[in-house]
Amino acid sequence: MEQSEELLKSELILNELKKRQKTKEVVDVEEERIKVVFFVCGENRYAFYGTDIREILPASDISWVPGLPEYLPGLINVRGDIESVIDLHFFLGEEKPDQEKHLIAMAVRGDFHSGVIIDGIEDVIDIPVSAIAPPLATLNGAARDLVIGSIEYDAKTISLLDVGKLANLITI
Amino acid sequence: MSDFDGSLIGEAFHLLLFSVGGICFGVDTGQVAEIAVYKGEICEDVFWFHEEMGYAGKMVTYQSPVIVTIKTGTASPYRVIIDAMEDIAEFSQSDISLFPSMLEPFVLRKGLWGLLSQRERIVLLLDFLRLQRNNHLNY
Repeated sequence: MEQSEELLKSELILNELKKRQKTKEVVDVEEERIKVVFFVCGENRYAFYGTDIREILPASDISWVPGLPEYLPGLINVRGDIESVIDLHFFLGEEKPDQEKHLIAMAVRGDFHSGVIIDGIEDVIDIPVSAIAPPLATLNGAARDLVIGSIEYDAKTISLLDVGKLANLITI
Repeated sequence: MSDFDGSLIGEAFHLLLFSVGGICFGVDTGQVAEIAVYKGEICEDVFWFHEEMGYAGKMVTYQSPVIVTIKTGTASPYRVIIDAMEDIAEFSQSDISLFPSMLEPFVLRKGLWGLLSQRERIVLLLDFLRLQRNNHLNY
């Protein structure tokens, strides 16, 4: 009886391997990664979730439309689709961009889609979800309404902006 | 009331195309009663288009101004000075795009209700009666 309960060496090894595998799975779950797009707006760097940015368009003519507020500079034609454009500088308190040098990030979240004026793309990388910290408590102004977290990148703290919050700010 | 009601859906319609300050507009010709060259006369009941639309802070120069008289269905016509009249062109409903929903609340106040993408430019479709009604309410 006692002999039958004694585990074989192979069983011990197998169990040990299974334990290790389980531990590895736990580690894998903890290390879930997410794509973020680092970009420049005015004097500072910010980030969006990569899943919220469909594409980056070069500087293009923005058709001004009467009646729009300052933060909505107009419309762009993206391969036949007419899209709105949001000037992110307005909300972040950054200086207005050079009309010829800006880029337009096409932001998409659910039903919301719009071009967003930025000044340049810094990087697109995968980071562990755990690397996203809560927003800095020292943030103030309109930027605070857009920030969903902060990321340490290149020895600096970058504010992660939420496209959903941007949509809520603009939707009347 | 706008001429664009349910009975027009699917039908072709004609647009008067013009530009003011480099922005291209299209107006249903059914709203237009008369077009006359503007010779610089001063009339209290004639409005400059850029003032009606609120071209805030934008420099606007008229190259070839004309007065369009809009049918209002009342004894008082709505007369507006526009510029750079180009063409009267036929379009179908399928040519029209909606404004992005985020912009709609703003543009409707200015009588803008749709878009045409034409030869790589964007034409803003304007309902003069809606513009008149909104401006009147604002005053």
